[in-house]
Amino acid sequence: MRSITRIQLENFTSFAKLDVEFSPGVNVFIGANGTGKTHLLKVLYAACAVTTGEDKSKGFAQKIRNVFNPYEGRIGRLARRVSGSVTTRITVHRQGGAKLSAKFSNHSNRPEDVVVTGAIGWVKEALESAYIPVKEMLAHAPGFLATASRREIAFEEVYVDIIKHALLPKLLGPTDVGRKRLLMALEQVIEGKVIAKQEHFFLKNRQGDLEFTLLAEGIRKLALIWLLIQNGTLLAGSVLFWDEPEANLNPTLMGRVVEVILELQRMGIQVFLSTHNYVLLKEFDLRHTPQDKLRYVSLFRSDKDAVSAHTTDDYISIEPNAIASTFEGLYDRELSRGFAGLPK
Amino acid sequence: MTVIVERDLQITLPAGVTARRFDDGILHGLSHCMKAVDFIVDLPDRVVFIEFKDPQDASAPEQRGRDYLAKFSSGAIDEQLKTKFRDTFLYEWASGRVNQPIDYWVLIGADMLSPAELLTRTEALKRHVPAQGPLGRPWKNKLVRHCAVMNLASWNRQLPQFPAKRLSA
Repeated sequence: MRSITRIQLENFTSFAKLDVEFSPGVNVFIGANGTGKTHLLKVLYAACAVTTGEDKSKGFAQKIRNVFNPYEGRIGRLARRVSGSVTTRITVHRQGGAKLSAKFSNHSNRPEDVVVTGAIGWVKEALESAYIPVKEMLAHAPGFLATASRREIAFEEVYVDIIKHALLPKLLGPTDVGRKRLLMALEQVIEGKVIAKQEHFFLKNRQGDLEFTLLAEGIRKLALIWLLIQNGTLLAGSVLFWDEPEANLNPTLMGRVVEVILELQRMGIQVFLSTHNYVLLKEFDLRHTPQDKLRYVSLFRSDKDAVSAHTTDDYISIEPNAIASTFEGLYDRELSRGFAGLPK
Repeated sequence: MTVIVERDLQITLPAGVTARRFDDGILHGLSHCMKAVDFIVDLPDRVVFIEFKDPQDASAPEQRGRDYLAKFSSGAIDEQLKTKFRDTFLYEWASGRVNQPIDYWVLIGADMLSPAELLTRTEALKRHVPAQGPLGRPWKNKLVRHCAVMNLASWNRQLPQFPAKRLSA
Protein backbone atom coordinates (compact mmCIF):
# COMPACT_ATOMS: atom_id res chain seq x y z
CA MET A 1 0.00 0.00 0.00
CA ARG A 2 1.36 3.39 -0.97
CA SER A 3 -1.00 5.91 0.54
CA ILE A 4 -0.83 9.67 0.08
CA THR A 5 1.33 11.12 2.83
CA ARG A 6 1.58 14.84 2.16
CA ILE A 7 0.62 17.75 -0.05
CA GLN A 8 2.48 20.99 -0.64
CA LEU A 9 0.78 23.84 -2.44
CA GLU A 10 2.11 27.21 -3.43
CA ASN A 11 -0.11 29.88 -4.96
CA PHE A 12 -2.79 27.38 -5.90
CA THR A 13 -6.39 28.71 -5.90
CA SER A 14 -6.92 30.11 -2.38
CA PHE A 15 -3.70 28.69 -0.94
CA ALA A 16 -0.58 30.89 -0.73
CA LYS A 17 1.52 28.21 0.93
CA LEU A 18 0.24 24.99 2.37
CA ASP A 19 2.04 21.93 3.67
CA VAL A 20 -0.12 19.20 5.19
CA GLU A 21 0.78 15.66 6.21
CA PHE A 22 -1.96 13.05 6.02
CA SER A 23 -3.01 9.98 7.92
CA PRO A 24 -3.06 6.65 6.06
CA GLY A 25 -6.58 6.31 7.53
CA VAL A 26 -9.33 8.94 7.50
CA ASN A 27 -8.55 12.60 6.79
CA VAL A 28 -11.36 15.05 7.52
CA PHE A 29 -11.21 18.56 6.02
CA ILE A 30 -13.24 21.18 7.83
CA GLY A 31 -13.48 24.91 7.29
CA ALA A 32 -15.86 27.66 6.27
CA ASN A 33 -17.08 28.02 2.67
CA GLY A 34 -14.30 29.16 0.36
CA THR A 35 -11.41 27.69 2.32
CA GLY A 36 -10.53 25.19 -0.42
CA LYS A 37 -11.69 21.88 1.02
CA THR A 38 -12.98 20.63 -2.34
CA HIS A 39 -9.89 22.00 -4.11
CA LEU A 40 -7.70 19.84 -1.92
CA LEU A 41 -9.84 16.78 -2.54
CA LYS A 42 -9.73 17.34 -6.29
CA VAL A 43 -6.02 17.90 -6.62
CA LEU A 44 -5.27 14.81 -4.53
CA TYR A 45 -7.77 12.82 -6.57
CA ALA A 46 -6.12 13.96 -9.82
CA ALA A 47 -2.79 12.67 -8.50
CA CYS A 48 -4.34 9.26 -7.73
CA ALA A 49 -6.37 9.06 -10.94
CA VAL A 50 -3.35 9.38 -13.24
CA THR A 51 -1.91 6.13 -11.90
CA THR A 52 -4.70 4.00 -13.41
CA GLY A 53 -6.72 3.38 -16.57
CA GLU A 54 -7.24 5.94 -19.29
CA ASP A 55 -6.22 8.82 -17.03
CA LYS A 56 -2.66 7.45 -17.13
CA SER A 57 -2.30 8.78 -20.66
CA LYS A 58 -3.83 12.15 -19.75
CA GLY A 59 -1.17 12.99 -17.21
CA PHE A 60 -1.36 15.11 -14.09
CA ALA A 61 -1.74 18.53 -15.72
CA GLN A 62 -4.63 17.54 -17.94
CA LYS A 63 -6.37 15.67 -15.13
CA ILE A 64 -6.10 18.70 -12.85
CA ARG A 65 -7.59 20.87 -15.57
CA ASN A 66 -10.40 18.41 -16.22
CA VAL A 67 -11.46 17.94 -12.61
CA PHE A 68 -11.47 21.70 -11.98
CA ASN A 69 -12.88 22.67 -15.36
CA PRO A 70 -11.63 26.30 -15.36
CA TYR A 71 -13.03 28.85 -17.83
CA GLU A 72 -11.88 28.09 -21.39
CA GLY A 73 -9.86 25.21 -19.98
CA ARG A 74 -7.09 27.62 -19.04
CA ILE A 75 -5.09 25.98 -16.29
CA GLY A 76 -3.47 29.30 -15.34
CA ARG A 77 -6.82 30.31 -13.87
CA LEU A 78 -6.10 27.87 -11.03
CA ALA A 79 -3.18 30.03 -9.91
CA ARG A 80 -3.80 32.13 -6.83
CA ARG A 81 -5.32 35.46 -7.84
CA VAL A 82 -2.82 38.18 -6.92
CA SER A 83 -1.62 41.24 -8.78
CA GLY A 84 1.20 40.45 -11.21
CA SER A 85 2.69 37.15 -12.27
CA VAL A 86 2.60 34.21 -9.95
CA THR A 87 4.12 30.73 -10.02
CA THR A 88 2.02 27.83 -8.80
CA ARG A 89 3.52 24.63 -7.44
CA ILE A 90 1.72 21.46 -6.46
CA THR A 91 3.53 18.50 -4.93
CA VAL A 92 1.87 15.32 -3.72
CA HIS A 93 3.85 12.70 -1.79
CA ARG A 94 3.27 8.98 -1.39
CA GLN A 95 4.48 6.45 1.11
CA GLY A 96 7.79 5.12 -0.14
CA GLY A 97 9.07 8.49 -1.26
CA ALA A 98 7.47 8.93 -4.70
CA LYS A 99 6.30 12.46 -5.39
CA LEU A 100 4.48 14.12 -8.22
CA SER A 101 4.85 17.83 -8.92
CA ALA A 102 3.29 20.35 -11.25
CA LYS A 103 4.47 23.89 -11.86
CA PHE A 104 2.71 26.55 -13.90
CA SER A 105 1.97 30.25 -13.90
CA ASN A 106 -1.15 32.33 -14.11
CA HIS A 107 -0.26 32.82 -17.81
CA SER A 108 -0.24 29.10 -18.58
CA ASN A 109 -3.10 28.24 -20.90
CA ARG A 110 -2.73 24.60 -21.85
CA PRO A 111 -1.82 21.50 -19.84
CA GLU A 112 1.28 21.24 -22.07
CA ASP A 113 2.50 24.50 -20.53
CA VAL A 114 2.67 22.82 -17.13
CA VAL A 115 5.99 21.38 -15.97
CA VAL A 116 5.25 18.01 -14.41
CA THR A 117 8.01 16.13 -12.60
CA GLY A 118 8.16 12.73 -10.96
CA ALA A 119 5.43 11.22 -13.15
CA ILE A 120 7.39 8.12 -14.18
CA GLY A 121 8.08 6.98 -10.63
CA TRP A 122 4.62 8.07 -9.51
CA VAL A 123 2.63 5.90 -11.90
CA LYS A 124 4.77 2.79 -11.37
CA GLU A 125 2.34 1.61 -8.72
CA ALA A 126 -1.39 2.04 -9.32
CA LEU A 127 -3.40 3.88 -6.70
CA GLU A 128 -7.04 3.02 -7.33
CA SER A 129 -9.36 5.82 -6.25
CA ALA A 130 -12.90 7.15 -6.42
CA TYR A 131 -14.23 10.67 -5.93
CA ILE A 132 -17.80 11.14 -4.72
CA PRO A 133 -18.93 14.68 -5.48
CA VAL A 134 -21.50 16.58 -3.44
CA LYS A 135 -24.14 16.19 -6.14
CA GLU A 136 -25.45 12.69 -6.57
CA MET A 137 -24.91 11.55 -10.18
CA LEU A 138 -26.14 7.98 -10.60
CA ALA A 139 -29.72 9.06 -11.22
CA HIS A 140 -28.44 11.20 -14.09
CA ALA A 141 -26.17 8.53 -15.54
CA PRO A 142 -28.24 7.50 -18.60
CA GLY A 143 -26.69 9.23 -21.59
CA PHE A 144 -24.42 11.36 -19.46
CA LEU A 145 -21.17 9.65 -20.43
CA ALA A 146 -21.91 9.83 -24.15
CA THR A 147 -22.90 13.48 -23.91
CA ALA A 148 -19.83 14.32 -21.86
CA SER A 149 -17.51 12.50 -24.27
CA ARG A 150 -18.90 14.56 -27.16
CA ARG A 151 -18.02 17.62 -25.04
CA GLU A 152 -21.60 18.81 -25.34
CA ILE A 153 -21.58 19.67 -21.67
CA ALA A 154 -18.73 21.15 -19.69
CA PHE A 155 -18.85 19.14 -16.49
CA GLU A 156 -16.08 18.73 -13.99
CA GLU A 157 -14.59 15.35 -14.77
CA VAL A 158 -15.25 14.03 -11.26
CA TYR A 159 -18.88 13.57 -12.31
CA VAL A 160 -17.96 11.50 -15.35
CA ASP A 161 -15.45 9.47 -13.38
CA ILE A 162 -17.83 8.48 -10.61
CA ILE A 163 -20.41 7.21 -13.09
CA LYS A 164 -17.71 5.17 -14.83
CA HIS A 165 -16.65 3.71 -11.49
CA ALA A 166 -20.22 2.87 -10.57
CA LEU A 167 -20.74 1.07 -13.87
CA LEU A 168 -17.79 -1.28 -13.41
CA PRO A 169 -18.87 -4.93 -13.24
CA LYS A 170 -18.93 -6.87 -9.99
CA LEU A 171 -15.50 -7.96 -8.84
CA LEU A 172 -14.93 -11.62 -9.68
CA GLY A 173 -13.94 -14.16 -7.07
CA PRO A 174 -15.01 -14.67 -3.48
CA THR A 175 -15.88 -11.60 -1.39
CA ASP A 176 -13.72 -11.35 1.71
CA VAL A 177 -15.26 -11.16 5.17
CA GLY A 178 -14.73 -7.42 5.69
CA ARG A 179 -16.31 -6.45 2.37
CA LYS A 180 -19.19 -8.88 2.88
CA ARG A 181 -19.93 -7.39 6.31
CA LEU A 182 -19.91 -3.87 4.93
CA LEU A 183 -22.09 -4.76 1.97
CA MET A 184 -24.63 -6.37 4.25
CA ALA A 185 -24.63 -3.40 6.62
CA LEU A 186 -25.28 -1.06 3.69
CA GLU A 187 -28.01 -3.32 2.31
CA GLN A 188 -29.83 -2.97 5.62
CA VAL A 189 -29.79 0.82 5.34
CA ILE A 190 -30.70 1.08 1.66
CA GLU A 191 -33.06 -1.91 1.94
CA GLY A 192 -31.83 -3.74 -1.12
CA LYS A 193 -29.00 -4.22 -3.60
CA VAL A 194 -28.05 -2.11 -6.57
CA ILE A 195 -28.16 -3.29 -10.15
CA ALA A 196 -27.39 -1.49 -13.42
CA LYS A 197 -29.17 -2.04 -16.74
CA GLN A 198 -27.29 -0.23 -19.49
CA GLU A 199 -26.67 3.07 -17.74
CA HIS A 200 -29.77 2.93 -15.54
CA PHE A 201 -29.34 2.14 -11.86
CA PHE A 202 -32.01 0.38 -9.79
CA LEU A 203 -32.44 -0.61 -6.18
CA LYS A 204 -33.46 -4.22 -6.19
CA ASN A 205 -35.51 -5.54 -3.28
CA ARG A 206 -38.64 -7.58 -2.57
CA GLN A 207 -40.79 -4.89 -4.14
CA GLY A 208 -38.94 -5.17 -7.45
CA ASP A 209 -36.54 -2.82 -9.21
CA LEU A 210 -36.82 0.77 -8.08
CA GLU A 211 -35.22 3.35 -10.36
CA PHE A 212 -32.76 5.72 -8.73
CA THR A 213 -34.79 8.80 -9.58
CA LEU A 214 -37.41 7.53 -7.11
CA LEU A 215 -34.94 7.15 -4.26
CA ALA A 216 -34.00 9.77 -1.69
CA GLU A 217 -30.66 11.38 -2.57
CA GLY A 218 -29.10 10.28 0.72
CA ILE A 219 -29.95 6.65 -0.04
CA ARG A 220 -28.52 6.97 -3.56
CA LYS A 221 -25.18 7.99 -2.06
CA LEU A 222 -25.08 4.99 0.21
CA ALA A 223 -26.05 2.83 -2.76
CA LEU A 224 -23.05 4.25 -4.61
CA ILE A 225 -20.73 3.21 -1.79
CA TRP A 226 -22.28 -0.26 -1.97
CA LEU A 227 -21.47 -0.40 -5.70
CA LEU A 228 -17.89 0.78 -5.21
CA ILE A 229 -17.28 -1.92 -2.61
CA GLN A 230 -19.01 -4.59 -4.65
CA ASN A 231 -17.12 -3.84 -7.87
CA GLY A 232 -13.77 -3.68 -6.14
CA THR A 233 -13.06 0.03 -6.61
CA LEU A 234 -12.73 0.26 -2.84
CA LEU A 235 -10.24 -2.41 -1.86
CA ALA A 236 -7.31 -2.32 0.55
CA GLY A 237 -4.76 0.16 -0.77
CA SER A 238 -7.24 2.34 -2.64
CA VAL A 239 -8.28 5.90 -1.84
CA LEU A 240 -11.78 7.30 -1.37
CA PHE A 241 -12.49 11.01 -1.75
CA TRP A 242 -15.92 12.06 -0.47
CA ASP A 243 -17.05 15.65 -0.68
CA GLU A 244 -19.59 16.38 2.08
CA PRO A 245 -20.94 12.89 2.85
CA GLU A 246 -23.68 14.61 4.86
CA ALA A 247 -25.30 16.21 1.80
CA ASN A 248 -28.97 15.20 1.61
CA LEU A 249 -28.54 12.72 4.43
CA ASN A 250 -30.80 12.77 7.45
CA PRO A 251 -28.70 13.16 10.63
CA THR A 252 -30.10 9.86 11.93
CA LEU A 253 -28.17 8.06 9.16
CA MET A 254 -24.92 9.89 9.87
CA GLY A 255 -23.73 7.37 12.44
CA ARG A 256 -24.08 4.53 9.91
CA VAL A 257 -22.14 6.51 7.31
CA VAL A 258 -19.35 7.20 9.76
CA GLU A 259 -19.27 3.53 10.71
CA VAL A 260 -18.93 2.62 7.01
CA ILE A 261 -16.09 5.12 6.57
CA LEU A 262 -14.28 3.84 9.66
CA GLU A 263 -14.76 0.26 8.48
CA LEU A 264 -13.33 1.12 5.04
CA GLN A 265 -10.31 2.60 6.81
CA ARG A 266 -9.94 -0.57 8.89
CA MET A 267 -9.89 -2.52 5.61
CA GLY A 268 -6.88 -0.45 4.50
CA ILE A 269 -8.60 2.20 2.39
CA GLN A 270 -7.35 5.75 2.77
CA VAL A 271 -10.21 8.26 3.01
CA PHE A 272 -10.31 12.00 2.41
CA LEU A 273 -13.53 13.82 3.13
CA SER A 274 -14.80 17.32 3.64
CA THR A 275 -17.63 18.30 5.94
CA HIS A 276 -19.66 21.18 7.32
CA ASN A 277 -21.59 18.93 9.63
CA TYR A 278 -21.35 18.78 13.41
CA VAL A 279 -23.13 15.44 13.69
CA LEU A 280 -20.70 13.79 11.25
CA LEU A 281 -17.68 15.18 13.12
CA LYS A 282 -19.06 14.17 16.50
CA GLU A 283 -19.92 10.69 15.25
CA PHE A 284 -16.26 10.23 14.29
CA ASP A 285 -15.26 11.39 17.74
CA LEU A 286 -17.68 9.02 19.47
CA ARG A 287 -17.32 5.97 17.23
CA HIS A 288 -13.59 5.77 16.54
CA THR A 289 -11.46 3.32 18.49
CA PRO A 290 -7.86 3.96 19.61
CA GLN A 291 -6.70 1.77 16.72
CA ASP A 292 -8.45 3.91 14.09
CA LYS A 293 -6.31 6.39 12.21
CA LEU A 294 -8.05 9.75 12.07
CA ARG A 295 -6.75 13.19 11.22
CA TYR A 296 -8.64 16.47 11.13
CA VAL A 297 -7.40 19.25 8.85
CA SER A 298 -8.87 22.62 9.76
CA LEU A 299 -8.67 25.14 6.93
CA PHE A 300 -9.02 28.83 7.70
CA ARG A 301 -8.26 32.22 6.22
CA SER A 302 -5.26 33.86 7.83
CA ASP A 303 -3.25 36.95 6.96
CA LYS A 304 -3.51 38.37 3.46
CA ASP A 305 -6.67 36.36 2.97
CA ALA A 306 -4.76 33.18 2.15
CA VAL A 307 -5.90 29.83 3.48
CA SER A 308 -3.82 28.06 6.12
CA ALA A 309 -4.29 24.71 7.84
CA HIS A 310 -3.98 23.20 11.29
CA THR A 311 -3.92 19.45 11.67
CA THR A 312 -4.75 17.37 14.72
CA ASP A 313 -5.60 13.74 15.43
CA ASP A 314 -7.95 14.65 18.27
CA TYR A 315 -11.44 16.09 17.80
CA ILE A 316 -11.32 18.42 20.80
CA SER A 317 -8.06 19.96 19.57
CA ILE A 318 -9.47 21.07 16.20
CA GLU A 319 -8.65 24.74 15.98
CA PRO A 320 -10.31 26.70 14.54
CA ASN A 321 -13.45 24.58 14.41
CA ALA A 322 -15.91 26.58 12.32
CA ILE A 323 -18.66 24.01 12.92
CA ALA A 324 -18.39 23.90 16.72
CA SER A 325 -18.02 27.70 16.87
CA THR A 326 -21.38 28.03 15.19
CA PHE A 327 -22.93 25.95 17.97
CA GLU A 328 -21.16 28.05 20.55
CA GLY A 329 -22.74 31.17 19.04
CA LEU A 330 -26.19 29.58 19.01
CA TYR A 331 -25.81 28.33 22.58
CA ASP A 332 -24.66 31.70 23.89
CA ARG A 333 -27.56 33.45 22.18
CA GLU A 334 -30.02 30.89 23.55
CA LEU A 335 -28.72 31.44 27.08
CA SER A 336 -28.39 35.20 26.97
CA ARG A 337 -31.97 35.79 25.87
CA GLY A 338 -33.05 34.74 29.37
CA PHE A 339 -30.41 36.67 31.27
CA ALA A 340 -31.47 40.23 30.46
CA GLY A 341 -32.27 42.35 33.51
CA LEU A 342 -30.09 40.44 35.97
CA PRO A 343 -28.40 42.51 38.72
CA LYS A 344 -24.92 43.70 37.80
CA MET B 1 -21.81 38.77 49.67
CA THR B 2 -23.50 35.36 49.70
CA VAL B 3 -21.90 32.19 48.44
CA ILE B 4 -23.71 28.97 47.74
CA VAL B 5 -21.67 25.78 47.80
CA GLU B 6 -22.45 22.24 46.74
CA ARG B 7 -19.52 19.95 47.51
CA ASP B 8 -16.69 21.23 45.26
CA LEU B 9 -18.62 23.87 43.31
CA GLN B 10 -19.28 27.40 44.51
CA ILE B 11 -21.28 30.33 43.16
CA THR B 12 -20.86 33.84 44.53
CA LEU B 13 -24.05 35.91 44.40
CA PRO B 14 -24.15 39.70 43.91
CA ALA B 15 -24.41 41.87 47.05
CA GLY B 16 -27.90 41.97 48.55
CA VAL B 17 -29.11 38.79 46.88
CA THR B 18 -30.48 36.12 49.20
CA ALA B 19 -30.48 32.39 48.69
CA ARG B 20 -31.70 29.38 50.60
CA ARG B 21 -30.59 25.79 50.43
CA PHE B 22 -33.56 23.72 49.41
CA ASP B 23 -32.43 20.15 48.74
CA ASP B 24 -32.26 19.20 52.35
CA GLY B 25 -34.84 16.73 53.65
CA ILE B 26 -34.83 18.32 57.07
CA LEU B 27 -35.50 21.79 55.66
CA HIS B 28 -38.33 20.92 53.31
CA GLY B 29 -39.46 17.87 55.28
CA LEU B 30 -40.90 15.99 52.30
CA SER B 31 -37.98 13.89 51.13
CA HIS B 32 -40.20 10.78 51.24
CA CYS B 33 -42.29 12.09 48.33
CA MET B 34 -40.38 14.76 46.46
CA LYS B 35 -37.16 15.63 44.71
CA ALA B 36 -35.72 19.11 45.09
CA VAL B 37 -33.33 21.54 43.42
CA ASP B 38 -30.25 22.46 45.47
CA PHE B 39 -30.87 26.21 45.97
CA ILE B 40 -33.52 28.85 45.50
CA VAL B 41 -32.23 32.35 44.85
CA ASP B 42 -34.41 35.46 45.12
CA LEU B 43 -33.61 38.25 42.67
CA PRO B 44 -35.49 41.54 42.30
CA ASP B 45 -37.31 40.47 39.13
CA ARG B 46 -37.26 36.65 39.33
CA VAL B 47 -36.65 33.55 41.39
CA VAL B 48 -33.90 31.20 40.24
CA PHE B 49 -33.85 27.49 40.97
CA ILE B 50 -30.24 26.31 40.91
CA GLU B 51 -29.16 22.69 40.55
CA PHE B 52 -25.56 21.53 40.78
CA LYS B 53 -24.22 18.42 39.08
CA ASP B 54 -20.59 17.52 39.39
CA PRO B 55 -19.34 14.53 37.39
CA GLN B 56 -15.78 15.82 37.79
CA ASP B 57 -15.89 15.94 41.60
CA ALA B 58 -12.48 14.53 42.54
CA SER B 59 -13.76 13.16 45.85
CA ALA B 60 -16.45 11.04 44.17
CA PRO B 61 -15.72 7.62 42.64
CA GLU B 62 -14.53 7.97 39.03
CA GLN B 63 -17.17 5.54 37.80
CA ARG B 64 -19.94 7.78 39.14
CA GLY B 65 -18.65 10.67 37.04
CA ARG B 66 -18.53 8.50 33.92
CA ASP B 67 -22.04 7.19 34.56
CA TYR B 68 -23.28 10.71 35.01
CA LEU B 69 -21.75 11.90 31.75
CA ALA B 70 -23.32 8.96 29.94
CA LYS B 71 -26.69 9.95 31.44
CA PHE B 72 -26.10 13.50 30.32
CA SER B 73 -25.22 12.59 26.73
CA SER B 74 -28.10 10.15 26.34
CA GLY B 75 -30.63 12.63 27.72
CA ALA B 76 -31.52 10.45 30.72
CA ILE B 77 -30.58 13.39 32.92
CA ASP B 78 -33.51 15.45 31.56
CA GLU B 79 -35.99 13.34 33.49
CA GLN B 80 -34.19 13.91 36.78
CA LEU B 81 -33.82 17.65 36.22
CA LYS B 82 -37.45 17.95 35.22
CA THR B 83 -38.70 16.15 38.34
CA LYS B 84 -36.56 18.28 40.63
CA PHE B 85 -37.93 21.42 39.02
CA ARG B 86 -41.58 20.38 39.10
CA ASP B 87 -41.52 19.13 42.69
CA THR B 88 -39.79 22.29 43.85
CA PHE B 89 -42.24 24.41 41.89
CA LEU B 90 -45.23 22.63 43.45
CA TYR B 91 -43.75 23.02 46.93
CA GLU B 92 -43.16 26.72 46.42
CA TRP B 93 -46.58 27.24 44.83
CA ALA B 94 -48.36 25.40 47.64
CA SER B 95 -46.39 27.49 50.10
CA GLY B 96 -47.72 30.65 48.44
CA ARG B 97 -44.33 31.81 47.29
CA VAL B 98 -44.64 31.79 43.50
CA ASN B 99 -45.07 35.49 42.90
CA GLN B 100 -42.37 36.07 40.30
CA PRO B 101 -41.18 34.40 37.10
CA ILE B 102 -38.95 31.38 37.71
CA ASP B 103 -35.67 30.64 35.92
CA TYR B 104 -33.93 27.27 36.17
CA TRP B 105 -30.14 27.21 36.01
CA VAL B 106 -28.18 23.96 36.05
CA LEU B 107 -24.43 24.08 36.68
CA ILE B 108 -22.59 20.98 35.45
CA GLY B 109 -19.00 20.51 36.57
CA ALA B 110 -17.81 18.94 33.31
CA ASP B 111 -15.28 20.86 31.17
CA MET B 112 -15.50 18.49 28.23
CA LEU B 113 -19.13 19.19 27.36
CA SER B 114 -19.38 21.09 24.07
CA PRO B 115 -21.74 24.01 23.37
CA ALA B 116 -23.70 21.69 21.09
CA GLU B 117 -24.28 19.21 23.91
CA LEU B 118 -25.16 21.93 26.41
CA LEU B 119 -27.52 23.56 23.92
CA THR B 120 -29.20 20.21 23.30
CA ARG B 121 -29.77 19.67 27.04
CA THR B 122 -30.98 23.24 27.53
CA GLU B 123 -33.60 22.79 24.82
CA ALA B 124 -34.54 19.33 26.09
CA LEU B 125 -35.07 20.69 29.60
CA LYS B 126 -37.43 23.34 28.24
CA ARG B 127 -39.41 20.64 26.45
CA HIS B 128 -39.55 18.36 29.49
CA VAL B 129 -40.56 20.90 32.16
CA PRO B 130 -42.43 21.92 29.84
CA ALA B 131 -41.89 25.64 29.32
CA GLN B 132 -44.77 25.84 26.81
CA GLY B 133 -48.28 24.45 27.15
CA PRO B 134 -50.28 22.22 24.76
CA LEU B 135 -49.67 22.79 21.03
CA GLY B 136 -46.61 24.83 21.92
CA ARG B 137 -48.74 27.70 23.18
CA PRO B 138 -47.78 29.70 26.29
CA TRP B 139 -49.21 28.65 29.66
CA LYS B 140 -51.60 31.13 31.26
CA ASN B 141 -49.31 30.98 34.30
CA LYS B 142 -45.76 30.24 33.27
CA LEU B 143 -44.10 27.18 34.81
CA VAL B 144 -40.62 28.35 33.90
CA ARG B 145 -39.49 31.47 32.12
CA HIS B 146 -35.98 30.39 31.13
CA CYS B 147 -33.81 27.27 31.40
CA ALA B 148 -30.04 27.14 31.07
CA VAL B 149 -27.71 24.16 31.34
CA MET B 150 -24.14 25.39 31.71
CA ASN B 151 -20.69 24.17 32.62
CA LEU B 152 -18.26 26.42 34.51
CA ALA B 153 -16.93 28.02 31.32
CA SER B 154 -20.30 28.93 29.86
CA TRP B 155 -21.66 29.97 33.27
CA ASN B 156 -18.84 32.45 33.84
CA ARG B 157 -19.06 33.71 30.27
CA GLN B 158 -22.78 34.38 30.56
CA LEU B 159 -23.09 35.26 34.24
CA PRO B 160 -19.92 37.12 35.26
CA GLN B 161 -21.84 38.79 38.10
CA PHE B 162 -22.48 35.31 39.60
CA PRO B 163 -18.94 33.86 39.38
CA ALA B 164 -18.74 30.10 39.71
CA LYS B 165 -15.64 28.08 40.53
CA ARG B 166 -14.33 24.73 41.60
CA LEU B 167 -13.05 25.01 45.17
CA SER B 168 -10.29 22.44 44.74
CA ALA B 169 -8.91 24.10 41.60
